[in-house]
Amino acid sequence: MSFIKLSLQNMLRRKLRTSVTLTGVAVAVAALFSLLAFQRGYQTGMRDELDRLGAHVLVVPKGCPYDAASTALHGASWPCYLKYAYLEQVRKTRGVSVAAPVFMNALYEANGNQTVYLGINDDIRMVKRAWSIEGSLPVKTGDILLGAAAAKSLHVQRGQEFDLPGLEGAKGRVCGLLATTQGADDNFLYMPLADAQRLFNRQGQLTHILVRLQDPNSLEDVVGALRACEAGMDMNIVPLTHLFRTIQSMVNSTRLLLGCIALVALLVAGAGVSNTVLMAVTERTREIGVMRSVGASMGDIFRLIWMETVQICLLGGVVGVAVALVGAQSLEGWLRNRLPFAPTGTLIHPEVSIMVACLAGAALLGSLAGLLPAWRASRLSPVEAIRAT
Amino acid sequence: MADSILVSAQGLTKVYNRGTEEVRALDGVTFDLQRGEFTAVVGVSGAGKTTLLHLLGCMDTPTSGELLIDGQSTRGLSDSALTRMRREQVGFVFQHFGLLPTLTVMENLTLPTLFSKKEAKAYANELLERVGLTHRRNHLPNQLSGGEMQRVAIARALINRPQVLLADEPTGNLDSANGEAILQLFHQLHRDGLTIIVVTHNPILANATQRQLVLHDGRLVP
Ligand SMILES: Nc1ncnc2c1ncn2[C@@H]1O[C@H](COP(=O)(O)OP(=O)(O)OP(=O)(O)O)[C@@H](O)[C@H]1O
Ligand SMILES: [Mg+2]
Repeated sequence: MSFIKLSLQNMLRRKLRTSVTLTGVAVAVAALFSLLAFQRGYQTGMRDELDRLGAHVLVVPKGCPYDAASTALHGASWPCYLKYAYLEQVRKTRGVSVAAPVFMNALYEANGNQTVYLGINDDIRMVKRAWSIEGSLPVKTGDILLGAAAAKSLHVQRGQEFDLPGLEGAKGRVCGLLATTQGADDNFLYMPLADAQRLFNRQGQLTHILVRLQDPNSLEDVVGALRACEAGMDMNIVPLTHLFRTIQSMVNSTRLLLGCIALVALLVAGAGVSNTVLMAVTERTREIGVMRSVGASMGDIFRLIWMETVQICLLGGVVGVAVALVGAQSLEGWLRNRLPFAPTGTLIHPEVSIMVACLAGAALLGSLAGLLPAWRASRLSPVEAIRAT
Repeated sequence: MADSILVSAQGLTKVYNRGTEEVRALDGVTFDLQRGEFTAVVGVSGAGKTTLLHLLGCMDTPTSGELLIDGQSTRGLSDSALTRMRREQVGFVFQHFGLLPTLTVMENLTLPTLFSKKEAKAYANELLERVGLTHRRNHLPNQLSGGEMQRVAIARALINRPQVLLADEPTGNLDSANGEAILQLFHQLHRDGLTIIVVTHNPILANATQRQLVLHDGRLVP
């Protein structure tokens, strides 16, 4: 016999009531856990995304600033263009190491499939330093470099000629395969810049320019210089690190709100546990009297009731964490469709440290919720308790 | 022989306030009990028997008067000191048995040692054998008869080797055969030197004791 066993048995006496109370705690803990796991995943995801990108600054046409930046990263079409001539000005700006021109266009088929074409030139190599290509970059007319995911869905080999999806009558030949980048680049079809401009009827135009700096720390200066250049009025200079920070802070404010809701849920659940145990104390008044008569001190009774509360909360916490782990996948999908910008990696990172923190939080909640019933029980006078019916 | 007095009650008075009305449940009760004495407390319902037993068991404190157990006064003791008295000096048996329903016979029996933090495995086995319930050690209270439950309760009251056993109508919920078994058990315990005070309406039990304290309206009838 031990205090733990005694309080556990008491907890299991009213299984239905205990489980209802426990569910409240579980729901609150699951929410808290998911939120923390998401915060961790989102942060690392954003950082990885930034590393993969290679570019420090994105130059997009005036008019659609953050939308354009986000689409440029994930692949889509938008109706604003840069003049090719601006590229020279960007290149000449002090502090710019590489400026790679890109013409991007996404085509949608009737079945909802999307094909994203990117017109590029060799400069891309200097930006996407992590790229590993089997074969070559597209240089000759008709050359297509395939992202890993695109190659997989098209079922084509190197050297093979194939119909370009969404472009009737146009053919391409696979000149190279891009090893997976774990990012959006995997989904794209790359072709020479001139091909893209011709195919989409946009000669002399670009959708964006990827810029790499000589020194990433001079970001502010270079951005200033780019904005001040002759074409600056027609371009939107997006410092990507800032962009990520902006998105992050947007998500942060939502997270704060959700955090508050989770906290309120936790408090409500705590009140529920407190109430349940108070009820149990009333029901068991005579038993408490018996325990006092056989030598239990006020502290013993306090400990017993308090432990019972902590156990309910801790068990609720375990259930909550388990539910959150099981539901992480579906939550991930749900979130991905609703976030302004979702990095490619996993969004929900259920780490052990978060698990421990959530269980500790549940235990703390139990400790607080248990104070009132434990105090009430310990204050019962032995005679009153024993005479209770 | 003053040192053979185990329990000494001097003018014990207990006043309850029921609203504006005062109830003198006990009114100046004075007596001494010798070590090893087997005493019955009798009286009509409402005479104050349970109130007296609760005072003797350190479950409650008198409004006035003094109680000495083994020469030690209980006047002005703190709750934790009274708890220690309950742990070490007295064993309590209730009419309603007072077993915890979730605990087995053995666990109920050793419950007091959870609080006194004394190891008493061997003694628990011995007591269980003594009340004839060794074969029931892992049963739950709801699997026992009333007589068996009361025997477990008596064994539990003895686990911390108290100086005095206090029983409040221990046979009140039992039929005559089971009541007889409890009486036999008390006889044995008395022969072994235990001091026993039993509140009872049962004339057989009352007549079996050495001494009877008769309460009426909170006073001892001489
Ligand atoms: N907590 C209380 N508040 C007010 N009055 C009380 C309280 N406890 C007991 N009394 C009263 O004190 C008197 C003595 O009660 P007690 O329970 O000691 O009687 P008893 O002799 O044990 O009776 P019974 O044989 O019915 O058990 C009764 O009049 C009872 O109503
Ligand atoms: Mg009574």
